[in-house]
Amino acid sequence: MLRGLTALDLTDLRGQFASRVLRDLGMRVIMVEPPGGNATRKSGPFKADAPDGDSSLRFAFLNGGKESVTLDIGRAEGRELLLQLSEHVDVVLESFLPGHLADLGLGYDVLKRQNPRLVVASITGFGQYGPYSGYLASDIVGVATGGLMYISGDSSLPPVKPPETQAFYLGSLFAAYGVLLALFARESTGQGRYVDCSIQESVATQEHTIREAAFDGAVISRNGSQHKNVAPASVFACRDGYVYLFILGADHWQSFLDLWADHPPELDGDELKAPHRRRALVSKLNPLIEQFTRRYSKEELAALLQDRGVPCLPVNSPREFLEQEETRQREFLGPAFSQGLGEYFAPRLPAIVDERPPADAGGPPRCGEHNSLVFGEWLGLPPAALELLSAQGVI
Amino acid sequence: MSSRFLSGLRVVTLGTGIAGPLAGRMLASYGAEVFKVESRAGGIDAFRTYGDDLDASPRFIEMNLNTRSVTLNLKTSLGVKLFKELVGHCDVVMENFRPGVLQGLGLSPRDLLTVKQDLIIVRMPGLGSVGRQASYGTWGPTLAAYCGLTYLWNHARQDRPVGSQGVYPDYVTAVMAPIVVMAALLARKRTGEGTVVELTQVDLAAYMLGTTLLDVLVNDRDPAPTGNASLHAVPHNCYPCAGEDRWCVIAVENENQWRALCSVIGQPELVGDERFCRTLQRWHNRSDLDALLSDWTAQHDASEVMRRLQAAGVPAGVVASGMDLYTDEHLEARGFIQSVRHPVLGEVPLAGLPLQFDTASHETFRSPPPLGADNSYVLIELLGHTRADLERWEREEVVY
Repeated sequence: MLRGLTALDLTDLRGQFASRVLRDLGMRVIMVEPPGGNATRKSGPFKADAPDGDSSLRFAFLNGGKESVTLDIGRAEGRELLLQLSEHVDVVLESFLPGHLADLGLGYDVLKRQNPRLVVASITGFGQYGPYSGYLASDIVGVATGGLMYISGDSSLPPVKPPETQAFYLGSLFAAYGVLLALFARESTGQGRYVDCSIQESVATQEHTIREAAFDGAVISRNGSQHKNVAPASVFACRDGYVYLFILGADHWQSFLDLWADHPPELDGDELKAPHRRRALVSKLNPLIEQFTRRYSKEELAALLQDRGVPCLPVNSPREFLEQEETRQREFLGPAFSQGLGEYFAPRLPAIVDERPPADAGGPPRCGEHNSLVFGEWLGLPPAALELLSAQGVI
Repeated sequence: MSSRFLSGLRVVTLGTGIAGPLAGRMLASYGAEVFKVESRAGGIDAFRTYGDDLDASPRFIEMNLNTRSVTLNLKTSLGVKLFKELVGHCDVVMENFRPGVLQGLGLSPRDLLTVKQDLIIVRMPGLGSVGRQASYGTWGPTLAAYCGLTYLWNHARQDRPVGSQGVYPDYVTAVMAPIVVMAALLARKRTGEGTVVELTQVDLAAYMLGTTLLDVLVNDRDPAPTGNASLHAVPHNCYPCAGEDRWCVIAVENENQWRALCSVIGQPELVGDERFCRTLQRWHNRSDLDALLSDWTAQHDASEVMRRLQAAGVPAGVVASGMDLYTDEHLEARGFIQSVRHPVLGEVPLAGLPLQFDTASHETFRSPPPLGADNSYVLIELLGHTRADLERWEREEVVY
């Protein structure tokens, strides 16, 4: 859908999911890596645990299907080449600390003068201004300061972060949306825009925690998997694993009791038809329900309840999820290839456009793989000039 | 400059809870006219029913800011006909019903494209539209469980999966749907054609675990939860601070940060301690290291830990509660939290969206109106029916 649009991607782990998604929707993405390679290349897990060459699976996931050029933008020649490249693209994505690009003479005002149609997006921990804007944000800092960690995990244990780098992914998703809004506006104004995306704020949009504290006076804290307003809505043990059971409406509650033929009679009371009433009794209710759920395997219980319209799904490991027949039927995985990883299967952004299967993820580029293509074709640099720049360490 | 990028765009949404409604707010906040269609005949957004007053549910208001409200009973053929008339005036339809529900009403993508051929339709089924499970009922937490997120979101070596009490997959869908809408709108400018996009929510949530999935697929592994640990940064954990349930995270990503940390906690001699001299050594001795750091953090306020470490160039952050966020000086300086005025509830403070364009341009907050408040705007002004028609349809529970 984004065919014909091109982005220069100067980001690190903070922003690479943004260009990942834009690329999946058809945008051409060219990574601009420092001559030593983007730091994500050194981030595990690695194929066969061998952290050499092009074996980072994190890099492969985030950067599959992108192109790569190398450029030392800290040097005058590198800066000049970046400015020239920016004339050929629609979007520049970056995730440096605020002010870094401006210090290099590559701030938004400079880029905009070079190409007024350019959309520039910054993805940073705390945004471009405000008292924390110079703070360092690793992912765990993002999920902590954005409020997601405080409500996550068992109440008897310290707060726990979600897997991978979800704060960075969320910030990247919002940034991708901001980029597309700005591109859409450009269609009528002819002018690009600057997008300031804060990772902390991207996390803080979630779970109503601000409104509940400020307006309802309720500070939500960790409570395992138990939903804050609904019951039963939690993880329950089965014979061979766990399910997540979520019962909201009175009809679902009744269907659940029907399946549980020998349920305690006190559960039949009218007052338990309302989810918030059940929620108030959750410490009594959940252990009773678990006596029932333990009679079944997780697959069996989910199927029995879903046949009655009651939302219940097994708790899967990622491996179990991939092994589901339905995951295969939905064509979530597709083939990919890179020199470092060989042929492999990779997850695909599940956007089924006009009934076509999702776009393949694509293999990750080697560092600088597209130098001669991009510098040669766009900027008209002859091979000798490229060799000289390479010898000087600029590319 | 204005950030009403989508001024003139019209969107119809059918959805409940978070994913669909928040996706609508994302478009409405940048100027699109978003018509949220509900019905008292079994089609009310579940979030309206969390309180006594359908029009004064703070949770509903937060998810549906800036949208309009229309009631059409799609269980009547006239309701379906009027819905199609509305679609004929719109650019985008978003829905997250179970597969087959809209088809059953004569509102399949094909039916809708007949009404308007350059329409953009985004569907968000929980478990997709093929296979036995496609008909299953799903809510965000069940999808998190199914895709592996709940299992992985835990401290290492725990007996039970825990995850979060939240609905993470809903939020992912709520951002991805407007991304896809924008991509389709850009494509439409080029081709003039409409598009039907299906976003399967469970696969979107799984896509957020892409690195882990590659570890399964390429290395034939079965990855287990790793809690707050990182292989590349040690220390990397959540530490108790002064007060009840107060915590701060610290992440040391290189040797400069390690030296700075030792200095801030007043133990510069640790730099030379061979137990901690490199990331790998710190990893092997991380329980000693965490105990030592906890001794220091426990004596200080979480915000002081963050401030002192950040001032020394060490990534650190308060594990913020909703109240911490509400009173956060940084978020205040950025204007992230604003109040929406509601006729019954008064001023309701809400989180904004995390995007600013050029200088400090914010979305405006407008409360969604009472249920059906835009019926006369839509049926009379937009669709050209008479007030007498509208009143009759209200009595007949078509506009209802």
